[in-house]
Amino acid sequence: MRELKFQSIQLIIPIVLKFQKQFLSLSSGVFIFMLIITLGCNEPVVETYTIAKEASNEKLIPELQSQKMQTLPGMEAYTESAPSLQYETPLGWNELTPTSIRKANFSIKNNLGEAEISVTVFPGDVGGLLANINRWRSQIGLQRVAASNLNTLIEALEISQNPGYFTKINGNKESILGGILPLNDATWFIKMQGSILCVDAETKNFKSFLSSLKIKDEHN
Amino acid sequence: MNSLLKFFSSLKLTVVLLTLSLALIFFGTLDQVEYGIWETQKRYFESFFVIWSYPEQAAGSSFLNWIKIPMPGGYLLGGFLLLNLFAAHTTRFKLTWKKSGIFAIHLGLILLLISELLTDIMSKESQMSVNEGQRKNYSETALENELVLINRSNPNFDTVHSISEKRLESGKVIDIPDSNLSFRTIKYFPNARIARSTKTTTLKDNLANRGVVEKIPIQVIERPIDYAIDAINTATAYIEIFKRSSNNQETDDSLGIWLVSNVIDERFPNQIVVSGAEKFELAMRFKRTYYPFDVELVDFTHEKYPGTDIPYNFSSAVILHDSRMNTKQQALIYMNHPLRYAGLTFYQASFANEDTTSIFQVVKNPGWLLPYISVLLMGLGMIFQFGMHFFKFSKKKKV
Repeated sequence: MRELKFQSIQLIIPIVLKFQKQFLSLSSGVFIFMLIITLGCNEPVVETYTIAKEASNEKLIPELQSQKMQTLPGMEAYTESAPSLQYETPLGWNELTPTSIRKANFSIKNNLGEAEISVTVFPGDVGGLLANINRWRSQIGLQRVAASNLNTLIEALEISQNPGYFTKINGNKESILGGILPLNDATWFIKMQGSILCVDAETKNFKSFLSSLKIKDEHN
Repeated sequence: MNSLLKFFSSLKLTVVLLTLSLALIFFGTLDQVEYGIWETQKRYFESFFVIWSYPEQAAGSSFLNWIKIPMPGGYLLGGFLLLNLFAAHTTRFKLTWKKSGIFAIHLGLILLLISELLTDIMSKESQMSVNEGQRKNYSETALENELVLINRSNPNFDTVHSISEKRLESGKVIDIPDSNLSFRTIKYFPNARIARSTKTTTLKDNLANRGVVEKIPIQVIERPIDYAIDAINTATAYIEIFKRSSNNQETDDSLGIWLVSNVIDERFPNQIVVSGAEKFELAMRFKRTYYPFDVELVDFTHEKYPGTDIPYNFSSAVILHDSRMNTKQQALIYMNHPLRYAGLTFYQASFANEDTTSIFQVVKNPGWLLPYISVLLMGLGMIFQFGMHFFKFSKKKKV
């Protein structure tokens, strides 16, 4: 058995030996060919192909928004594309220039303390009502709440002729007043954060600001 | 010819080449700090020459920055090693029964070098992210961008003209096939910050006058390329589009300048270029690869060890819809169990959106089998070679 195997290999060896030169030239030929491919790879400038009909972008908007939210830069650009605002500024509120993220921006400073008001908009539902209430709670050092307690913390409120929510979160040093409005696959956040006394005193003004708010959306 | 063969077959050359490879790997590893893995791989290993310069962040760079070391790149070294191995075989090596193990080891090594080159040239990697219930027929890569002009006028299919971002750098006039339009890049930013210019600040350096800028004043601020491994660069360009004149005497008609960027995406209204009866959607996006089949994500599961947030299994149940063959194929993709279909491999790579989106790494590597064969060849060669010596030795001892 061993003899037989050995014989067969002995047969192959001379053949390989005989063609070794050819083998070398063939392999170097292949190598040079591949070098040429790498060096002279001249892809066409414009690549043209056909694809199956795609759904129009407009229909895909909500889905893509939520998908790309965490991963893509350009949040600022989204804010810029959002529709414009109309509102009445309550007395004592000092209007500041909108920044890249904030659609509207105010500050309050009086003998009760200081507070800041911002209006922002983000695509999608931004994690939902509970996640955002908990986000605000954590900003003023409060524990998270469970979904079952959510209803006791928010009240329904009409904002810009659409159903929205109002919440008041009392912290130990600071409080937050919030308005949340889901509108056309985006969510608007109106938020006041500041010292407890100042926020308390401004609650009425904040609510009247919310009711004066008119979001001009071209989708409507 | 003989002296050339002698040079290429010399063992000294092998030692020099291996030493240079060592240096290449050393300096490549140093530069990885600054340029990240992808760029380093391109500069050092997928090239013929590379120049290492003293890093700016390193100590004493202000008076050492003149240090520049040119060295041969991976393709050159690999190619010479391959030639060296071949030449040595022809001149010195005589294939005998006793040396067939060494022959197998060398053959395996040659195959490994070739397969590495093949992988460099032919392999492609991209990501496909699919939501539960959604079907996708393309994957995309954030490492490359493309300028696309899409013609959706045909009721049966859409035609995509894609131009790689690399082609935009030159600013040359490029004709769009099957149309009377051409374009040129006015300015190209590999990375930029895009923001609305507020009313108090004036819009600086805006070159565009058509498309999204007609509604939103957008400011482009150039940024250096971010080489971090998970960085996404905001590729942005100002593109001027022309209508080609029918005779060469007249100058081409400019239709305007558009601003395109990979963050001006589906969230924004489409940018449309209209010329006569022709209508194109214009966009800069992550480079896409379309497939002749759809991947539908049925369910994504993310199991954790009880009582912890430590994941122990991710899996995606998918259905492959291939309209060419009218087939439907179910598959479960999970860790170490990729799906292989039509020359592509789908690996479970990541997930998003509270476990409702699955992200697959899509790998196309026609030479994937070669490294296995070469390692097998080398292994068998070693077993044979060492085994033979061992048996000889043990026989001697017995006598």
